[in-house]
Amino acid sequence: MSLWDAIWSGLAGVLTWPAFGLMLLTIPIGLIFGIIPGMGGNMGLALLIPFTFGMKPLEGFAFLLGMHTVVHTGGSIPAILFDTPGTGPNAATCIEGFPMAQKGEAGRALGAALTSSMLGGIIGAIFMALIIPVLRPVVLAFGPPEFFMLAMMGLAFISLMSGKSLLKGLMAGGMGLIISFVGMDPQTGIVRFSFGLLQLMDGINIVTIVVGLFALAEVIDMAIKGGTIAHTKSADIKGTGVWQGIKDTFTHWWLVIRTSIIGGIIGFIPGLGGDAAAFICYGHALQTSKRKEEFGKGCVEGVIGVDAAHNAKEGGALIPTLAFGVPGSSGMAILLGAFMILGVSPGKEMFTQNLNLVFSMVWILVIANIIAVILCLPFAGPLSKITFLRTSVMIPFILVCGILGSYLTTSRISDIIITAIFGLIGYGMKRFDYARGPLILGIVLGKIAENALHISLNLYGLKFIFRPIAFIILVITLGTVLYPAYKEHMKKKLAEEGR
Amino acid sequence: MGKQTKIYIIILVFVLYFFGMQGVTKAAVQPDLNFYKGKLVTYIVATKPGGGYDTYARLIGKYLQKYLPGSTVIINNVPGAGHIIGANTLYKAAPDGLTIGTFNTGLIYSQIVGQEGIQFDLRKFSWIGKASSETRVFIVGAKAPYRTFKDILESKEPIKMPSSGVGSQDHNETMILAYALGAKFQPVPGYAGKEGEMAIIRGEVPATIGSYTGLIGMIKAKECRVLLQFGAKRTHAGLENVPHISELKVSPTGKALINLVNNVDLIGRLTAAPPNVPVARLEALRYAYKKTLTDPDFRKEAEKLGLDIDPAYGDEVKKMVLDALNQPPENLKLLKSIISQ
Repeated sequence: MSLWDAIWSGLAGVLTWPAFGLMLLTIPIGLIFGIIPGMGGNMGLALLIPFTFGMKPLEGFAFLLGMHTVVHTGGSIPAILFDTPGTGPNAATCIEGFPMAQKGEAGRALGAALTSSMLGGIIGAIFMALIIPVLRPVVLAFGPPEFFMLAMMGLAFISLMSGKSLLKGLMAGGMGLIISFVGMDPQTGIVRFSFGLLQLMDGINIVTIVVGLFALAEVIDMAIKGGTIAHTKSADIKGTGVWQGIKDTFTHWWLVIRTSIIGGIIGFIPGLGGDAAAFICYGHALQTSKRKEEFGKGCVEGVIGVDAAHNAKEGGALIPTLAFGVPGSSGMAILLGAFMILGVSPGKEMFTQNLNLVFSMVWILVIANIIAVILCLPFAGPLSKITFLRTSVMIPFILVCGILGSYLTTSRISDIIITAIFGLIGYGMKRFDYARGPLILGIVLGKIAENALHISLNLYGLKFIFRPIAFIILVITLGTVLYPAYKEHMKKKLAEEGR
Repeated sequence: MGKQTKIYIIILVFVLYFFGMQGVTKAAVQPDLNFYKGKLVTYIVATKPGGGYDTYARLIGKYLQKYLPGSTVIINNVPGAGHIIGANTLYKAAPDGLTIGTFNTGLIYSQIVGQEGIQFDLRKFSWIGKASSETRVFIVGAKAPYRTFKDILESKEPIKMPSSGVGSQDHNETMILAYALGAKFQPVPGYAGKEGEMAIIRGEVPATIGSYTGLIGMIKAKECRVLLQFGAKRTHAGLENVPHISELKVSPTGKALINLVNNVDLIGRLTAAPPNVPVARLEALRYAYKKTLTDPDFRKEAEKLGLDIDPAYGDEVKKMVLDALNQPPENLKLLKSIISQ
């Protein structure tokens, strides 16, 4: 089947009934799962998979991907309004999105988030389609040494996310790393940090932590402070509405494209885990911004870069999943399970006999993203007014949804206790000015980095650092970390010389 | 009749009654199908939704409903700790015949080694049946220099093989086979899921062990060569001319270990109930299971999904499990030392 035929027959497949109908059905479901904090997309996938038993492959994928693609789009909404990410990657949306809401700019943030999510998803899907011809050599070029270096690069971005105190950011990152080590260590078979509890043998689920660290901590903060989320009186100030947010996204179109491609690449490389994509792109947006000082206080570029990335990564993540059965993101890991039920095997045949199915999936990503944003934008304006309500009205809602989401993800009561503990930790971090982003980044990247390091040393010894791609990534990382320090140093020198 | 004679007669009657009752209970117990009318049967799957165990359970569950008239079978996914949490949950469920479950047979190794967290005893489960036999294969990457299994055995360097982690079934199997065959397998832990296959394609590691059905994509795409098979013996697609492990010459201990590995692989996709389920209800479950596995529509659906079906039922499965666990003490000690390296 030629590439051209596959592209168009793929589209034709998506536009037929019942596949299209199934997709329309699950898009709102995905948005709702995304919006309710804690009830992330992965749980939604797990709940929907049993229903695919008996469906034809195209129908099954329309059903599942329709939901999965739009989850992060919905997840940005509570991230901006309540500093409570709807899904793990949305934690990065909180960093700039919530301060914007506090400034009364919730509408602008929502407009930017939704638009960039849509564009990111579309660009990610296009990226996926374009990569297909060179797929094999590129995916195969990345092995454990490269994964380790990429994880290091991600961790280096902690320095960028630490806000005012680098030291506190590093501490938070370190705590994140330690938390990621909880559970069975594949290198020794020993269970670490489990305190003898069977429930901790698999480690701590990221959703459990995120709900506690953000949603619960926010609830505690709201309960203590009272008042409203937005610290300004009204939303009628010019330049703060949804339309402004949409315009901002197109103004920063180059940022959207860059972060979409970075997000797609990170999703595309198996072993890194797409959850880090949003954080890494936040760091990138910060680094390349002409308005660095605004970051941390509510800069719309921070929202745009993050949201484009977390939708783009799903397009990238689909590739290694389809080509090798190796998931590119946590959502893909669950989707793989559905393959077996639908009678489809990942592998070479997908790209030869089933190429039209692959392109159907690309089209689903594109169309679902567009429909999702069309559904959400009308609500963005009214939703942004929530930030002017008394917080005591919202606390019960956030509390119930958060705890429900945490429990439903793993069906373990012990996880509610863990959420509560992280709620206290999160509040403490807010109170004492510790950025929470680095903690999440440490958790997301810790296990990957450790595993990749052990395997690299096992296979190649210390020489693994000098493998070409790994070395390049290392140089970029060092450059990223050292360059700002160098610039500071040069500034001081020039200032002294000018005296 | 004298008093003594009367006493003898009474004792004789009691003895005959006693033995007679034994005979009656050991004769065919009628399966209590009526019990299941209008009841909910929970089928515990020790993994997340999707994937092998879940798919088999959903298909089997669907047909069990047909043969337990009036019943509804629902799937309950209880993942975690490498199937241990699901197996624990099944073991501790109420033994009323309304809960059954499936988990990885590799837990046999975990029980032998005394893995932390195990709250079950595989010997005591009420065994219902198993649905398939696994054929497992030893493969080398297309670019690797080994042509036959003899080359592997004679290799001077250790053969690095990906494993998901110390304590996992693939890791245990690799270590046991290395000892039994005197081969220099060196597992490299940390490769979860299919990442091990990617490592083979990349040429990072030369060889791996895996299930035939799981690796068939790679085999058909000629990314690897199959040098040895074990578990159930097969001769189709890619396995023609591949020697079976039972054909290799090994020491008696080696043979015992290989038998263990083969037997564990033959008990694929098992279904069990908690200990002490009332006999009539267990018989009902076994009856429905057997009818399911021999139902022609079930077979057709299974084939469409690509599920291999090679069933064994009730006491036969119980025997296979007990044989695997009741090794002579020296073998158990040896296994423990191999696995916990």
